[in-house]
Amino acid sequence: MGRISRLRPDQVAADIRSLFETFLRERGNIPNMFRTAAHRPEILGTMLAHFRTVMGPGTVPVALKEMLAVRVSRINSCDY
Amino acid sequence: MAKQFGVSDAALDGLKDPGHHPFPPEQKAAVLFADAMTDGPGHVPDPVYQELRRHFSEAQIVEIACVIGLFNYFNRFNNALHVEITLTDPDVIVRRVEEAATAGTPVADFCDRVAEILRQGRRYVRVGIYQRDKDRLVLRAWRGPAPPPASLRLGEGDVGATGQSGVTRVAGSALVVPVLAGSAVVGVIEVESDRSAAIEEEDRPLVERIATVLAARLT
Repeated sequence: MGRISRLRPDQVAADIRSLFETFLRERGNIPNMFRTAAHRPEILGTMLAHFRTVMGPGTVPVALKEMLAVRVSRINSCDY
Repeated sequence: MAKQFGVSDAALDGLKDPGHHPFPPEQKAAVLFADAMTDGPGHVPDPVYQELRRHFSEAQIVEIACVIGLFNYFNRFNNALHVEITLTDPDVIVRRVEEAATAGTPVADFCDRVAEILRQGRRYVRVGIYQRDKDRLVLRAWRGPAPPPASLRLGEGDVGATGQSGVTRVAGSALVVPVLAGSAVVGVIEVESDRSAAIEEEDRPLVERIATVLAARLT
């Protein structure tokens, strides 16, 4: 069980709900971390924007960035 | 997720022990930088940084350090607050299985696809899909640490028992669901989860829905 409750789409404001719906459409789930962070919507908003900017197309290959994410999560025993 | 961004199975496997995998030099430099930055307070030794700098510009290194920092942030947030691993929505899983069913693929390939969709979407520890052949259940696809028996007699073990009775069994963290064509058993799906609390209310309805999709292909 998570220590903090996870908010469902019907428990969040419209702007966050549309972010959740995008996740559901693009990957078939809403990551539990973001449902947890939704308790602080302003933080969730910038967290998602930062995540997309850092992990999206930039100056190094997206595949390399995914590899680094997998490696870091593995070291941290976090099932990414 | 990494696979859909072009990371190969070999590279994913190599990330378990990057010191012993033949990564291209620029990838190895980035991974060793990630290790140094993630281990303890993140004091990266000069030689590790210099090797990274040989392959990447300053802007690229900023981007790489942000990726590593971001995942340390996310991982620590999730670990500290016990945020559970995210599972795929059951409706999405059923839709993926239905899409695989209409693709006109051979039965073995279809079963393999279903096993993968279930394992990946629900993080099952084990998945086995069996097809009935007279008084036996023949393994068509599986996922897990070791292959299950290639064939079981009706009545043999949990899978065989469900094959005989046509009734779903919940045994601890394992769920065994019959694939029914009318009242006849044409197959069995077995899954095992490490989240036994959710088996009855979440996994059982999902796997029973998958069984109805599978029934049309196993008859």
